[in-house]
Amino acid sequence: MLLAAPMFALPETPDEALAALAERPGAVVVAGGTEVMPDLLWRTREAAGFVSLRRVGALRGVRVDGEDLVIGAGTPVAALTGAPDAGLAAAAASLGTPLVRTEATIGGNVVSALPYRNLLPALLAGGARLELTSATGVRTVPFDGFVTAPGRTGLAAGELLTAIRLPRHGGFADYVKVGRRNAQFVATVSAAVVSRDGVVRLAFGNAGPTPLRSDDVDAVGTALLDGQATPADLRAAVAAAVDPPEDPIASADYRRHALGVLAVRLVTRAQIDGGLGS
Amino acid sequence: MTGPDESVTFGLTVDGVAHEVTARWSESLLTVLRDRLGVRGPKTGCAHGRCGACAVRADLGDGAHVLCSCLVPAATAAGATVETVASIGSPDGELSDVQEAFLAEGAVQCGICTAGFVTAATELLEQNTDPSRAEIEAALYGNLCRCTGYGRIVAAVETAARTRREATR
Repeated sequence: MLLAAPMFALPETPDEALAALAERPGAVVVAGGTEVMPDLLWRTREAAGFVSLRRVGALRGVRVDGEDLVIGAGTPVAALTGAPDAGLAAAAASLGTPLVRTEATIGGNVVSALPYRNLLPALLAGGARLELTSATGVRTVPFDGFVTAPGRTGLAAGELLTAIRLPRHGGFADYVKVGRRNAQFVATVSAAVVSRDGVVRLAFGNAGPTPLRSDDVDAVGTALLDGQATPADLRAAVAAAVDPPEDPIASADYRRHALGVLAVRLVTRAQIDGGLGS
Repeated sequence: MTGPDESVTFGLTVDGVAHEVTARWSESLLTVLRDRLGVRGPKTGCAHGRCGACAVRADLGDGAHVLCSCLVPAATAAGATVETVASIGSPDGELSDVQEAFLAEGAVQCGICTAGFVTAATELLEQNTDPSRAEIEAALYGNLCRCTGYGRIVAAVETAARTRREATR
């Protein structure tokens, strides 16, 4: 432990982090701080101290383990802009600014769990799984279903997200988002695709209270890829599947329309790629 | 106010000077630099990572890089080294080539963004001696200026890069 105060802990290993958290049940786990610090400034979050993961080196880095890319939860977003998964790389490159990307982590993006978070559609389309570590061991759960409501997840008390496992694939992957301007913008809506062996898997951000995908949408997306459905068919399938929020940024109707446009755009790109791999 | 349970004490080296800091657990590195240590190079702009006025170069154990000091919980930097704009140029006040270029090109107006821009531009030129205009714009994407319209700032970085290349030729 580099530093231990009643309301602040700076562990160097995951075990030290779990112990520090157990001793400080009201503390917030903070990694890069890019979300938590503004939240505290604006009083949108309450915390009784910090357990910082910023100096836990074992949580940083990307490695290959069999069929999976294993991404440490503390890996900064900047390190993912060149990730082998083109969807994840595109989502990472469009997050914040260079100065934010060096500190923001993939783990923070997942656990903060807001519907517009950049990396979430790419992880959902890619079929990611999460490694959750507690004092009793590690459990691996699908990312699909992990987010239960905006800002809420299946992470149990005393548990840490330690790694994200993203299946490697030889197919096409991409991510797109739209916002109200072209610089430093939060996604009004976003979408990601993984297309391999002629099968499309789409996922959407800000299309509902949690990251969203649908078997119906994927069936129509796959048919469009194969020339058996039209763009209008896919837009209709997306419109039927999503439940987007209505807020001062955009209406639900706008979001429903834009999500259909993004879905068609991604499947068109996958078609052009022709299964050559991105 | 900071009660004893809310405070955290740690060491921090800023611009080569070692300090012992006692701060509230949630205080940002920017607040500690400016309000506790009197280091006023980094500026408070947006305080949430958009504007880059608070940019410093810090090594938190994973290699020195430029970051927004407003987003870093200060105690996270325990035992670490931080370089502000005061570490760019000489202690006697002699300006660096990047700072000279900002002056020569008229890239400074109100000045609140300047320390952040100089910090980010200096980092860019350490990594890329001949950046294209697009590379300069990408590297400065996290720094906002509301006076210059950016044209003079990009020109200053181009001038600094050219000056540095000519000096080392």
